[in-house]
Amino acid sequence: MEYKLELKEITKIYGEKKVLNNLNLNIVSGEFMVILGPSGEGKSTLLRSIVGIENIDSGKIMVNGEDVTNNPPNKRNIAMVFQNYALYPNMTVYKNIAFPLKMSKMPSEQIKEKVNKVSELLKITDVLDKNSTKLSGGQKQRVAIARALVREPKLFLLDEPLSNIDARTRYTSRQELKRLQKELNHTFVYVTHDQSEAANIADRVAVLHNGVIEQIGTYEEIYNKPETTWVGDFIGTYPMNFIDGSIYDYKDKKIGFRPSWVDESLNDFELEISLIEKIENNYFIHCNLGEKNIVIRSNKNYNIGEKIKVGLSKFNVYKDEKLESVIENKKEKASAD
Amino acid sequence: MKNKDTVSYIIAIILSIVFIYPLYVLILVTFEPVYLTFGRIYPFQLPIILTLSNLINSFHQVGLIVPVIRSVEVAMLVSIIAVLLSIPAGYGLQKLTSRVTNKIILLMFVVNMMPGVVVAIPISVYFIKLGLENSIFGIAFAQELVVLPLSVFIMLGGFRALPKDIENQAHVDGARLHSIFSKVLIPLVKVPILITFLIAWMTSWDEFTYAVIISPINPTFPVKLYDYVSRGEPFVASSFALLVTVPVVVLVIILQKYLKGEYLSGGLNGV
Ligand SMILES: Nc1ncnc2c1ncn2[C@@H]1O[C@H](COP(=O)(O)OP(=O)(O)O)[C@@H](O)[C@H]1O
Ligand SMILES: [Mg+2]
Repeated sequence: MEYKLELKEITKIYGEKKVLNNLNLNIVSGEFMVILGPSGEGKSTLLRSIVGIENIDSGKIMVNGEDVTNNPPNKRNIAMVFQNYALYPNMTVYKNIAFPLKMSKMPSEQIKEKVNKVSELLKITDVLDKNSTKLSGGQKQRVAIARALVREPKLFLLDEPLSNIDARTRYTSRQELKRLQKELNHTFVYVTHDQSEAANIADRVAVLHNGVIEQIGTYEEIYNKPETTWVGDFIGTYPMNFIDGSIYDYKDKKIGFRPSWVDESLNDFELEISLIEKIENNYFIHCNLGEKNIVIRSNKNYNIGEKIKVGLSKFNVYKDEKLESVIENKKEKASAD
Repeated sequence: MKNKDTVSYIIAIILSIVFIYPLYVLILVTFEPVYLTFGRIYPFQLPIILTLSNLINSFHQVGLIVPVIRSVEVAMLVSIIAVLLSIPAGYGLQKLTSRVTNKIILLMFVVNMMPGVVVAIPISVYFIKLGLENSIFGIAFAQELVVLPLSVFIMLGGFRALPKDIENQAHVDGARLHSIFSKVLIPLVKVPILITFLIAWMTSWDEFTYAVIISPINPTFPVKLYDYVSRGEPFVASSFALLVTVPVVVLVIILQKYLKGEYLSGGLNGV
């Protein structure tokens, strides 16, 4: 069945602060949407507003064209996994998972069937009788997901579900979540501040900044064509390099490029090497360009203090911190002029 | 480290002696023949001859049994009302920002800072108009003044200590308000509720000022006890006092694992 969630001009104010500021976002059925942003940007607030435990100050939330802005959470059929899992400490795992079904007055035979099915799916059948406080972080996370899945909700919200578990489990859990979402063909909205997570599992990434979605698209799109210098700076292991546009005749503009877009066969500008990091088979070289610090990627090892001449194979042009044009090949661009 | 432990133990022992000594004297007075109590040469407070006659005497004083029953009724009433009121109050206060909450809590304790008599007299005048004088309801309502601030404080601590988002999770899971309370919140604040009940019960059990002013004709046990003492029958009184102390002590010993500081300080968030 088709499902469509539209957030229209949503504003949420805490005290003086507009945490969400006329935010627009559409989510379509079957997609794995990741909301990415630094801590404190309002990601949790956004999810809480969608699920209905936080009232928004203005704007509309539409589901399949119907306005649900004033519906209470229990009328929205949206499941949510909270950041700390919020398992009921006074209940066993079984009772935790069964809770939403009990609340919907489902007969207990049917509840049993559904709980067993979802526990098999998440491999937690052997802890069903344990108290929920006695579980490991990874198990808690699975129980929380099982409890959300068991209702067969239309939409599934997850607030940094992997942030409280150790690195190794986190990696496998990521893959499992992705597989689960595709198998069940559920619609997921997943919040994280970790961009490698976003790069790994998202169909689409929405970057949240200053209360609005600053950019939305696949991770590759956002990585290669950040719409603003802020996104370029935030996305990537190394921030995008921004240098004065006058180097390529873009007066009063900025040029943005990734470390890997540097072409060492060109001689457009000179860099002085200040630090070298070796990561797998590549060198990430920190250099000074005048006052500016930039990072380039190379497979050659240079010496610190050495001066090298390089150019850019491609770059983005930013005017007033916004993307103006994408120059895929500098030579082509030059000949077209 | 070792030294510190020793010092703590010594201090604890001294404090225990200070607190237990009056109880010891009470026991002594209860079980010794009257002439020994009077003829005692201090500091030799060792039990030499024991007797049950004081206890038996005091049981013949039926006049004390009715007040004990009345005190039990009042204490029950006080603790039930305290629990019923402090649950919604604590829940509501926990939702406010702690700055506002702490001010409200402070305000509640102001009544307790005034001498009981000052508050009790105007109240008793009012209660006479309402027909609440000399009734267990009258005493109970007045004693709530002493009991409620602490009860609300304890329940507030209980609600504040709940895991974040538990209530929101229940909302999202489709629970309505009554199920949120009955299935999720109340089971999680069982211990604070128990503590509230106990403290309210014990406070009411030996509350004197309000009881004597509101209900002089139908006295509670402490009031009647005072009566006996002032009439010059301290032995009957002390024997009886010991008898009614025993259940309270037993109760506290059984429930002491819940009476830990953490439950009483949870309300002090961000002061
Ligand atoms: N209940 C609240 N009252 C006041 N301010 C809040 C409340 N919840 C969140 N905030 C503020 O809103 C901002 C966004 O918070 P949050 O949505 O939790 O961010 P994120 O999940 O992206 O880390 C933060 O600055 C936070 O301090
Ligand atoms: Mg958050």
